[in-house]
Amino acid sequence: MILSGSIDETAVHYVAAAYGVAWVVVLGYVVILNSKLGRLERQLDEVVGLLEARRGHG
Amino acid sequence: METANGARIDRATAAALAATVLMATALGLIFFYVPNDASEGYSQRIFYLHVPIAMTTYVLFVWGALNAARYLWTGDESLDLRSYVPMHLGTVFGTLTLITGSLWAQISWGTWWDWSSTELNSFLIIFLFYCAYFMLRFSVEPGERRARYSAVYALLGVGLIPVSVLAVHLGQDIIHPITFTRHGANMDNSMLLTFLVSLAAMLVLAYSMYEVELRGKRLDDRIARLRRLAREPAG
Repeated sequence: MILSGSIDETAVHYVAAAYGVAWVVVLGYVVILNSKLGRLERQLDEVVGLLEARRGHG
Repeated sequence: METANGARIDRATAAALAATVLMATALGLIFFYVPNDASEGYSQRIFYLHVPIAMTTYVLFVWGALNAARYLWTGDESLDLRSYVPMHLGTVFGTLTLITGSLWAQISWGTWWDWSSTELNSFLIIFLFYCAYFMLRFSVEPGERRARYSAVYALLGVGLIPVSVLAVHLGQDIIHPITFTRHGANMDNSMLLTFLVSLAAMLVLAYSMYEVELRGKRLDDRIARLRRLAREPAG
């Protein structure tokens, strides 16, 4: 690879697209993890509800 | 590791912090430090994203396969998840490799994909092979049998990686340049530094994602067990 000083505008768009895609994928990953945390929270609430109901009966 | 107020920093947090610092440094180097390549110009900057992602994909698949081998050797159930998570992340990074590679191919070669390139095709084969890993895994009921089948499949796939790397060097691919040769890196020192920082950033990012995902899966298992126990009649 050799060094040069010129910048092509089309190349800038492609570089931005490549880095943008990577950013969107990482962000998507965080969104998926967040929805999973929400599901785990709901399941945990269900367990708490079951245990409290059991305590109420006993 | 501990903070000043005594709070413990876990591995995932430490890795995520390191990834943030490394990623910021890498982006700074890519856009403000490293000069343009004479033959490819500004678009060569995709190299600092695409190649580290591709290398991280290989590392994740090898890592998953190593844990699969350890599972088959020891029978330790926790290694099944430690094998599955890198495979999952490997396909995420593999998808990114294909997308960033296609963008780079379009601007450099004027085509989104070149079917005559050994490296592209062998990477695609490895990627599709590991996509099928999930079809196999989720077609079998959870348990020892699923873990064993998945481990064997993961191990079979890892053999394709050295074949892919060798194919490029033996085939002397003219359209897909070979940057790393037996005599070292074929690039300027500033480019090499930028590349190495980007690679470190990507590897640490993958490690932090691995830790977070693994923790999520373990939590999932524990809550499922807790639900089963809570539904059982008392006494």
